[in-house]
Amino acid sequence: MKVGIPKEIYPHERRVAAVPETVHKIRKLGYEVMIEAGAGDAAAFADGTYAEAGATIVPNAAALYAAADIVLKVRQPIAIAGGGHEADLLKEGATLISFIWPAQNKELIERLAVRKVTVLAMDAMPRITRAQRMDALSAMANIAGYRAVIEAAENFGRFFPGQVTAAGRVKPAQVFIVGAGVAGLAAIAAAKSLGAQVRAFDTRPAVREQVESLGGTFVEFTFNETGEGGGGYAKEMSEAYLAAEQAMIAQHAKQSDIVISTALIPGKVAPPLITSGAVVAMAHGSVIVDMAAEQGGNCALTERDKVVEKFGVTIIGLTDLPSRMARQSSELYATTVFNLLKEVSAPEPTPGIAIKMQDEIHRGVLVLKGGELMWPPPKPPAPRAGGPTGAHKVLEAKPAHPPPPAANGGGRLIGLLVALTLVAAVIAGPPQLIQHLTVFLLACVVGYHVIWNVTPALHTPLMSVTNAISGIIVIGGMLALFGGGSGSLALGGVAILVASINVAGGFLVTQRMLRMFRK
Amino acid sequence: MIVSIRSLAYLAASLLFILSLRGLSTQQTARHGNRYGIIGMLVAVLVTAVALLIPGDGVAAGAGAPNSTVVGVLGAALGLGCLIGALLASRVAMTSMPELVAILHSFVGAAAVLVGIATYLQPAGAVAIEAADRSAHMGEIYVGILVGAVTFSGSVIAFGKLRGKIGSKPLLLPGRHLLNVVALTACVALGVIFLHAEVAWPEPGGSVLSAGMPALLAATGLALLLGMHLVMAIGGGDMPVVVSLLNSYSGWAAAAAGFMLSNDLLIITGALVGSSGAILSIIMCRAMNRSIWNVILGGFGADSGAKPKVGAGAGAGEAPGKVNETTVDQVAELLLAARSVIIVPGYGMAVAQAQHQVKEISSLLIGKGIKVRYAIHPVAGRLPGHMNVLLAEADVSYDIVKEMDEVNEDFPSTDVVMVIGANDIVNPSAEEDAGSPIYGMPVLQVWKAARIVMLKRGMAAGYAGVDNPLCYNDNTLMLFGDAKQSVTKLLIALRADA
Repeated sequence: MKVGIPKEIYPHERRVAAVPETVHKIRKLGYEVMIEAGAGDAAAFADGTYAEAGATIVPNAAALYAAADIVLKVRQPIAIAGGGHEADLLKEGATLISFIWPAQNKELIERLAVRKVTVLAMDAMPRITRAQRMDALSAMANIAGYRAVIEAAENFGRFFPGQVTAAGRVKPAQVFIVGAGVAGLAAIAAAKSLGAQVRAFDTRPAVREQVESLGGTFVEFTFNETGEGGGGYAKEMSEAYLAAEQAMIAQHAKQSDIVISTALIPGKVAPPLITSGAVVAMAHGSVIVDMAAEQGGNCALTERDKVVEKFGVTIIGLTDLPSRMARQSSELYATTVFNLLKEVSAPEPTPGIAIKMQDEIHRGVLVLKGGELMWPPPKPPAPRAGGPTGAHKVLEAKPAHPPPPAANGGGRLIGLLVALTLVAAVIAGPPQLIQHLTVFLLACVVGYHVIWNVTPALHTPLMSVTNAISGIIVIGGMLALFGGGSGSLALGGVAILVASINVAGGFLVTQRMLRMFRK
Repeated sequence: MIVSIRSLAYLAASLLFILSLRGLSTQQTARHGNRYGIIGMLVAVLVTAVALLIPGDGVAAGAGAPNSTVVGVLGAALGLGCLIGALLASRVAMTSMPELVAILHSFVGAAAVLVGIATYLQPAGAVAIEAADRSAHMGEIYVGILVGAVTFSGSVIAFGKLRGKIGSKPLLLPGRHLLNVVALTACVALGVIFLHAEVAWPEPGGSVLSAGMPALLAATGLALLLGMHLVMAIGGGDMPVVVSLLNSYSGWAAAAAGFMLSNDLLIITGALVGSSGAILSIIMCRAMNRSIWNVILGGFGADSGAKPKVGAGAGAGEAPGKVNETTVDQVAELLLAARSVIIVPGYGMAVAQAQHQVKEISSLLIGKGIKVRYAIHPVAGRLPGHMNVLLAEADVSYDIVKEMDEVNEDFPSTDVVMVIGANDIVNPSAEEDAGSPIYGMPVLQVWKAARIVMLKRGMAAGYAGVDNPLCYNDNTLMLFGDAKQSVTKLLIALRADA
């Protein structure tokens, strides 16, 4: 089985789908690896390093595609300048693993179907824990978010961090980030580390904690709908909501030096969140980085792949942000692709693709199977929000040192037993019994309240102290000793002996432990 | 008059005991608490001794002037007992605290049994009781002895299990519930015989059933067996609950003795201790999300129906994924680059006695300005609060030792979590996998942190016998080896890199 990695021909694309380290790993799975000559050059991986890792260098794309059973790519197959199409070069029945964007590339899918290709889309990875290591979108978004901040800083005429200098005071840059997904969070982190003041907005209330943990301020926006779609992605919102969003964003943009927008909806055009009016209201010298340019752009004035200036505001519509860090992003992308390849490969010794239709990941990324359309997959189950209620109930029911909730089943049973005992004692018992029971019950109640206040850190000393106190049975031993009767000497004596071991041992070991609890 | 003074003294002692327990609500007041307890006990014992030594006041039952043998025995027993107790207390290692607590419980049980038998054998009229009240008195004696016996044998077995002398796997005899029921029923039946018995020992030629002692001794034997059986049927990891329960029983045994002797101080103290143990048991059970009956009556997991799933949570039935192994040097690098670290100690750390080295590591990191905290799960270890004591012994400031509820929200913003010898308490299956035996148990949500380093001896399952998906997570690194060795090497690596 041969795995082939061609050179990317997509404009501005500098990434490559395999790096020498992953070549090594793919070979360990039992595959042979072929790399098109020069595939890794733009990412600073020379052919020589691939060869050292055991790959065969193939002189041109046509030869590579003709021989490869499995092709790993970054960008979806496109038309070749000068005639032909990458998809047509594929062997019949081959497997293609790449970013595909099936919703936007129907024609491509049809072309591939004709070739009876099996297609796995890296952009359709389900967002579950098990798939995290194959999540190329998040890996790329992470890099893009970082790079967005770098590009913004490059085009921004002032400092990011605040400073007090002899020549005057410099205010820190105000950065506003729209969308706190992976890219947005990466941007928050990068902007914070450069010293800016960062605010961030997202339609999903759940991300507030993540934003704040990075040092950003979460911007509140209340409207009736919630932004959570299924599978961990946001969903499209109604028109009224959109209008309200635009107004809110415009207001924040006005007060910001840098706006970085990352809002995307899977399979659909990016929401138009930054209106022209918002841009006009921004101060001259401000910068907008529109990370959604490839999907239509969040800003009305974005020009795809370009850096333009409109109304004094620089608008960056670059779509190759990860590509600009090709070495880093190739390493991460290649790893995610390898992990997916490993996931769908049949176990040793015969290497080959084995798709498990019931597996959520296999089914999720499968676009074509031998030419048959399998996409879109059935909807995944809604994520179990906030974990099982069982665990949360137990946690919530137990704040710092509470007395437990009033009568539950066990409590009622005990109450019943107590009542029965008292009644029996009144009817049949001597008057002393009721008195003793009174004392006993009162003491239990006192004990109950006192013990709940003991800090959990001291539970072990608590046990040793109560041990010591229960050595009070020594009095019983003394009464027995002096009480006469056969064996009273022996019985009483031994009882006193063991009980006083308790007393002395208990108190002294408690003292020893408590001495250790110093600040 | 001496009786009144004694009653007053008992009141004082009771109050002092209550204050003693109250003192344990914070680390600062705890030592005062212990002192109150000591004073209370001294007052109680001294006043009782004095009252007994003064002849003819109706207090010293049945004896005239106390003879010198009795006084001698009193002095010797007290003195020897205190000496042994002091020796034990000064010698015991903190990691052996669970065993010590267990064996001390057994002494209380034993004393309760002996006191009960002695009281029964006292000459008639020794304790001023009318015939009608005799049944109640006999009943109290009987119950007191049985509770004491169960406490005694149960604690001895608990001691053996904690010591490792008895295997930690639960002993699940076939029909064990039936055995217990039979034993209890027999005890009740023997109790009836005991109550109706006119004399202590059988007359020559008379029926065994007409005397009290044979029935009592038989019942005591049964109770001893019952106690042993109950504790043998509980697995080693459930020991925190068992020890707390036995703590509770020892209190009830003392209270029963108080009923029997009409001694209010014994009743009050026994009730305090009994409720303390009961509450600790409840806390432990909540922390494991299991009902107390499930713990007492069932071996964990073995017959609860749900089979532990390997690789639970992700694809059931799949072969478990690959773990990311790491080296001591990598971990040292990770730690030094972190801004916040949380350490989660478990029983494994206690067994390996690694707490001092762990403390050295945390001091080193704190010295570099890294925020270090410890996260303690309520059932970590074999005794409630055991981890806290071990860390205190290693001189870790209790400020940075946090309970699960205080620290669980901080994991998402933590850079590195070090899990040392803990398994079930950090198992995400408890939250995610409804089929898992530990589902619903509150756990430390360590997987939410950026990186997790697990120090384990190997890939063996923890006490619950459940595989831990945490080991296969991408952000989890496994550092295999004995905890103490790994931690010592890590310390060397950290000092080298610093």
